[in-house]
Amino acid sequence: MRRKIALLLCLVMLTGLFAGCGNEGAPAQGGTSDQVTIKFLHKWPNPEYNDYFVSAVAKFEEENPGIKISMDSAGDEAIKDKIRVVMGTSEQPDVFFSWSGEFAKNFIREGNVLDLTPYLEANAEWKDGIMQAGLEPFMDDGKYYGIPYRINGKFFVYNKEIFEANGLSEPKTWAEFLTVLETIKGTGIAPIGLGNIYPWAGAHYITGLNQKLVPDDVRRVDYVKETGEYTDPGYVKALEYLKELKDNGYFQEGVNSTEHNMTLEMFYGGQVGMVYVELEEFVDFDENFADKWGFFPMPAIEGAPGNQNFLTGAPDGFMVSSKTAHPEEAVKFLEFLTNLENSTEMVKTLGWPSPVIGAVNSENSSESLVAGLNAVSEAEGMALWLDTDIDIRISDVYLPALQELLNNDKTPEQIMKEVQDVSQRIKTE
Amino acid sequence: MKLYGNKKTALLFIAPALLFVLLFIYYPIVQNFFLSLYRWKAFGEERTWVGLQYYKRIAQDPVFLIALKNNFLYALISIVFQVGFGLVIAAILEETFFRRFQGFFRTVFFMPSVISITVVGLLFQLVYHPSIGLLNNFLKAVGLENLTRAWLGESGSAIFAIVATSQWQYIGYIMLLFLVAIQKIPRGLYESAEIDGAGALQRFFYITVPQVKETIIMTSIITVIGGFKVFDEVYVMTAGGPGRSTEVLATYLYRSGFRNDEMGMASAIASIIFVITFVLTLVQLYVNKRIAED
Repeated sequence: MRRKIALLLCLVMLTGLFAGCGNEGAPAQGGTSDQVTIKFLHKWPNPEYNDYFVSAVAKFEEENPGIKISMDSAGDEAIKDKIRVVMGTSEQPDVFFSWSGEFAKNFIREGNVLDLTPYLEANAEWKDGIMQAGLEPFMDDGKYYGIPYRINGKFFVYNKEIFEANGLSEPKTWAEFLTVLETIKGTGIAPIGLGNIYPWAGAHYITGLNQKLVPDDVRRVDYVKETGEYTDPGYVKALEYLKELKDNGYFQEGVNSTEHNMTLEMFYGGQVGMVYVELEEFVDFDENFADKWGFFPMPAIEGAPGNQNFLTGAPDGFMVSSKTAHPEEAVKFLEFLTNLENSTEMVKTLGWPSPVIGAVNSENSSESLVAGLNAVSEAEGMALWLDTDIDIRISDVYLPALQELLNNDKTPEQIMKEVQDVSQRIKTE
Repeated sequence: MKLYGNKKTALLFIAPALLFVLLFIYYPIVQNFFLSLYRWKAFGEERTWVGLQYYKRIAQDPVFLIALKNNFLYALISIVFQVGFGLVIAAILEETFFRRFQGFFRTVFFMPSVISITVVGLLFQLVYHPSIGLLNNFLKAVGLENLTRAWLGESGSAIFAIVATSQWQYIGYIMLLFLVAIQKIPRGLYESAEIDGAGALQRFFYITVPQVKETIIMTSIITVIGGFKVFDEVYVMTAGGPGRSTEVLATYLYRSGFRNDEMGMASAIASIIFVITFVLTLVQLYVNKRIAED
C-alpha cells in the first residue's frame, strides 16, 4: 500500500513539473481567427523614441484591422546580440532593425532575409521616393534586401564662439584642420572631445581616414572577408593620423575613460572646442546649444588616394525575415513606416534624418538638419561605419586596438599586423 | 514493511530530481563539449567539424591568459578584502562600544550590495574619470597629484579599478554574514576570556576566528566562485577595454559567442571555464573536509 502511495506521489510530482511545457500556441489566439500577427523589432527602447513607434503601430492597426503588430525593442549594444540570437529560433521577428553593410549582409548570406526587389518593383512610388544612397548599402547581388529608415552622416560640430574669438573658419583640408586645432589648443581649451571608452568612437575616425587614405577599389576588396588583405600602407597611415591628433594634445585628457555623451556635456560647457557626431545627434545641439554651433565634414587630405568627396556615414533601416509566414503583411507594414507621410511625421517627432525624399524639409526640421542632409545627398559616396562594414571578427581585433593606439601601448604597424593575421585566418574558415 | 531500508522506494523518490539534474546539468555539459568541436553559428544550420582547433587557438591566444590572470586577481583580492576585512569590520561592530551604533553602520555598509550593478558601474565610471572624477580631484586636493591617472583608461590600472569597485560593493554583504555568525557565539566564551585577562586582539584571534570557521569557508567559496563568474562589472565599466586588458573569462566567452558569432569557440571557452571551476571546487571541498576533521 505504502509503495503504491509513494509511486503515486512520484507521478504527481513528475506531472507537476512537466505541466506548463508544451501546448503553446495552439489555442492562444482567441477572438477572430483570421487575425495576422507581425513581430516587429526596433532599436529604440527609450520612451522618447519608443512612443513614436507605439503611435505609428496604433495608426497602422487602425487602418488594417486584420493585422496586429507585436512590438519589441532593444538598445544599441544589446540589439546586436539579440538579433543574432533570435535569428536561429522560431521567435524570429518578421520585421527587424538592421545596420547596412556587412551587418546586414551576414544575415542575407545565411538566407535569413526576404528579397524585397519584387515588392519595390511593383510599387514604383515607394522605390523612387527613397534616396539611392540609402538603398544601395542594403543591396547584395543586385537585389534589395532592406529599406533604409534613417540616413546618417558624421560631422565635426564646433563651438562658433570659440571659432569667432580666434578668427577661425571651417577647415577644408587636413592641413587647415591641424592649424585650427593648434590655435584652439593655444587658448587652453581641448580642441576635440573624444569619448573612446567604447571604441566605436575611435572607429568612426578610422572609417573616414581609411576611406581617404586607401584607394577606394583596394579598400572595397579588403573589406570583403573572402578577399581581405589590409596590406595597403594607407591603413597604417590612417592610424598614424589618429595617433598624431592624440600625440599633439588635440583630444581632451583621458579619451579611453570618457564616454561619448560625457564629451557632449563638455562641449556644451565650453571645455572642448568640437566633437565628432552623427547627423541624428543634431537635434540635441539645437536643443542645448541653439545657434551657437556649426558643422563641417572630415576635411579632405590633399594628395591622398581615396575619393575626398566621400562622407562617413550610413543608412540603417529594416529588413523582413525570409521565414515570415506573412510576407505580404510584413512588407505592407514596412511600406507604411517608410511612406512619405509617416516619414515626415517621424522627422517632425524625432528629428531623425530620413532617406525618404522630401521628408526632411524646412517646415518640420531645423536649418542645420536640412543642411546636414544636403551634405549627405551631395556626397559622392558613403564610407560605412567600420565596425559594421567589415567582418565582425576583424572589427573585434581592430576596435580594441584603437584604445591601445591612443594609450601608446601598440604601434600602427603592430595593429595592422594583427588585423592582417585575423583576416587571413577568417579566409581559411 | 521497513521504509527506511527500502532502497527501491528511496530511488523512486530521488528519481525526479536525478532526472532533472541529468537532463539540465550533466547533459548540457557533455553536449557543450561536443559543440566545441564544430564551427557553427547561432543562426544558420551549417556545422563544420574542426576537432580541437578552437582549443589550440585558445592556448595560443594571449587574451585567454589575460582573462585567466584577471579572474585569479579578482578571486584573490576578493578573498583578502571581502572575507578578511569583512570579518574584521563585523568583529569591530560587535564590540560593546560599537554595538549601540551597529544598526546604522550595518545599513551603511550593506547598502551598496543592493544597488544594481549597472548603476554602480556608471557611477564609478564618473568617480574614476581623469578630469571630473571624484577620485582624482580628491588626490589633487590632498597633494597626491602624482598618483592621479586615467583609472579605467589605462591598461595597467583598469582591472584594479574594477576589482576595487566590487570590493566596495560586496564587503558589506560578507560582513553581514559574519555578523550573524559572531552573534551565535556564546557570550560566556568572551566573558571568561575577559576575566582571564584576554585583550581585544586575543579574543578576536582565539575566540571569534575559530568560532566562525565555517562561515569563513563558506564566504571564501562564494567569493572565489564569484571571482570566476564575474561579468557584469567588466561589461558595464569597460567592456573589456582598453584594448583587451580587462577581459575576464566570461566576457571572453560572451564576445566569442554573441559578438563574433563563433559559437564553437564560445563552447570551447565554456568547457575550459567548467574544468577550472570544477577543479577549484574539488580543492575547496577537500580543504573543507580537512578543516572539519580537525
